[in-house]
Amino acid sequence: MIRLDGITKVFPGVKSLDKVSFEARAGEIHALLGENGAGKSTLIKTMAGAYIPEEGSIHFDGQERRWASPKEAKDAGIHIIYQELMLFPELTVAENIFIGDPPKTRFGTIDYKTMQARATETLSRLGHALDPRALVKELSVADQQMVEIAKALVGDTKLLVLDEPTAVISGREAELLFDRVKRLRDEGVCIIYISHRLEEIFAIADRVTVLKDGQYVGTRDIGALDRDRLVAMMVGRELEDIFPRKKLPAPDAAPVLSVRDLRAPPRVKDVSFDLFAGEILGLAGLVGAGRSEVAHAIFGSMPRSDGAVTLAGEAFNTPTPRQAIDRGLGFLTEDRKGEGLMLQLDMAANVTAPTLPEFTTASGLDRAQEVQAAADEIRRFRIAIPGPKYGVSQLSGGNQQKILFGRWTRACRRVLIHDEPTRGVDVGAKVEIYEIIRKLADEGVGILVISSELPEVVGLCTRVLVMREGVITGEVTGAEINEETIMRHATAATRGAAA
Amino acid sequence: MALTDTNRPARRWRLDPSLIIVVLLLAAVVIAGFALSDRFGTTRNFMNVLEQASALGFASLGQALVVLVGGIDLSIGAVVTASTVLMAGVVETNPALMIPMIFGTLLFGAAIGFMNGYVTLRTGVHPLIVTLGTASILQGAVLIYTLQPTGGVPFWFEEFAYGRIGGVVPISGVVMLLCFALVWAFLKYSQTGRAIYAVGGSPEAARLTGIRASRITLLAYSASGFFAALAGAYYVSRTGVGDPRVGDPMTLASITPVILGGLILGGGKGNILGVLLGVFLISLLSNLLNYMNVSTFIQWVIQGLIIIFAVSIYVHKGKKL
Repeated sequence: MIRLDGITKVFPGVKSLDKVSFEARAGEIHALLGENGAGKSTLIKTMAGAYIPEEGSIHFDGQERRWASPKEAKDAGIHIIYQELMLFPELTVAENIFIGDPPKTRFGTIDYKTMQARATETLSRLGHALDPRALVKELSVADQQMVEIAKALVGDTKLLVLDEPTAVISGREAELLFDRVKRLRDEGVCIIYISHRLEEIFAIADRVTVLKDGQYVGTRDIGALDRDRLVAMMVGRELEDIFPRKKLPAPDAAPVLSVRDLRAPPRVKDVSFDLFAGEILGLAGLVGAGRSEVAHAIFGSMPRSDGAVTLAGEAFNTPTPRQAIDRGLGFLTEDRKGEGLMLQLDMAANVTAPTLPEFTTASGLDRAQEVQAAADEIRRFRIAIPGPKYGVSQLSGGNQQKILFGRWTRACRRVLIHDEPTRGVDVGAKVEIYEIIRKLADEGVGILVISSELPEVVGLCTRVLVMREGVITGEVTGAEINEETIMRHATAATRGAAA
Repeated sequence: MALTDTNRPARRWRLDPSLIIVVLLLAAVVIAGFALSDRFGTTRNFMNVLEQASALGFASLGQALVVLVGGIDLSIGAVVTASTVLMAGVVETNPALMIPMIFGTLLFGAAIGFMNGYVTLRTGVHPLIVTLGTASILQGAVLIYTLQPTGGVPFWFEEFAYGRIGGVVPISGVVMLLCFALVWAFLKYSQTGRAIYAVGGSPEAARLTGIRASRITLLAYSASGFFAALAGAYYVSRTGVGDPRVGDPMTLASITPVILGGLILGGGKGNILGVLLGVFLISLLSNLLNYMNVSTFIQWVIQGLIIIFAVSIYVHKGKKL
């Protein structure tokens, strides 16, 4: 159905795709896999005419094509459903489905009756039933996705791309989605399916193509793969090489952070734990279990209603971020761009933000000293940036994260809380980040790692706390640290809703 | 400073790229002025423009600080007006209070600004609405008090507007330049100045690095009120009375140089010197057009065109970055 040969796409300073070839057939579900930054979205956008490649050719439906615009690709039958749904919440299901080309009456006005009938018909092709007069904002996310897919069916769609469709829906809804998508495949539509979740790939895909760092790794039939081989393809190395060797904290290590009966409504209901100097402690759980909120409540950026926190032997019960920092507690937040970096300031200012008093003399900020300190961090963490005076917003996730490491390791030497430390970071940088975390622990810093990526928790931590609905439901150590045990604690009493 | 910057050969002076547009526009106006009018390019004229620009300068400086922390102040015009009426009204009957009232008026302005900031932070209502409300309250109160220009100040106070150092350089203009210089240094070399940029660009990130974001916001709004009151003091000095309508055009006028100077509405980015250049640009342009007998209304049209032109270039450049 579609064939791309030797596609190269260059963005200022980065080769996003390097001679990538890709081919997908009618009537198959073809998974496109790769880490963040592997080039999946760029490839999709190239297929859809949103990007024009520097090199390479596109064949679609038997002809060579050079899309001049996304519209041209769409008219030819390529439809993409992005992660953020492109729906109008205040319009009805039928209006959304026919937003581009509503059926008209003889007088040129919109023919609502026909539109609603055809909307119902289109949805039934998916095996789905919705009231065409319902407002989209009143639908569940899964139903909204169906509306989005129905939009694709209005035109003569030959190629349907789904970009991480299950990122926003739950397990049962995902199964429904898979069922609908398989129906379309059986009708002969070519479906390209992008996802991180390997289980899904095995549940739905017929073939898999893996990209890594903008390069084509390979295409396999799903039957010829198992999980480990797929991971090895994505990561480009075996799992054992990713994580540094685990090391338990010294047996006589003192707790640097003690939390007792912490409550911070609505998400944190009852949390107690100790973190020891030199320990890498994991905090796992499903999204929404209240893990980040625990961190915020400890750090003082979210009010606590109850509980006692002891930091390095001293009570820390009416906290603010300023006081937390002054006492050596740092917090690398999950949302790097919103809550971490200051995108409009340069790299040096980002590094010194929590420790500005150190750089202030009687005559004001000592910019030279600040720049020097930032240059030290660039060297220490091997940050790929031209210099301390450059902006941070264009850097890769890994380099941005390293800047935050520079900031917080300067400021805080007792406890560092990492919330999703490797989100949006490519594999190479992940390995470096794990090494940095390990090294910090070796230097005696107590480290709390919050992560949704189970392999990360399993590979990195020497002890793991599992949270569910605001409460710690389990603690696993040693050989017990594996994905199954953690998931069991994370979903313990709510089997119906999750997993 | 240049010594430690090891990455590249030291260059003594480099034009901040965000200032290029306003500098070019300013140069265009000056060149056109020399070409089109023989009265434009004289020291005397430039000094007059400097004097007349000071009210706009004060108001824009305050607006710029609020814009940098991610807000906007629509009460500037009303604060200007209220300050003139307050000052001239009180001092008329008690000329001895002139000097205390200079401080009193500035304090009044700062207090109004502080309230704006406080209400914005406390309620979470958008500053556009809060300051619009403040403007309406102040303007209403002033008009209840008087419909006509009122009050008076001792003769010597006119020196602030009309006085010339060495018979040449206007005092008010010098005060304005000093204010800009101080704020510039403050933004560049103080922790609090850095915090203003941080809070404006990424309030949540700033808070999580231990910056007390609320204090920074309060400071910026207070400064805005303070400088609006200073603009008010200038008008009293210039006209000798408190005028219940003098500040009307000031609110929107104060935003123009901020935009021309390349500050981003939304906060966190921009050079305060751009705002000063924007003030000069607007003042010189209207000065030149006056000499050319262009009507005020056509001046508005021209100003509007320049604003849209400048901003479209900023946006274009911003996209490329």
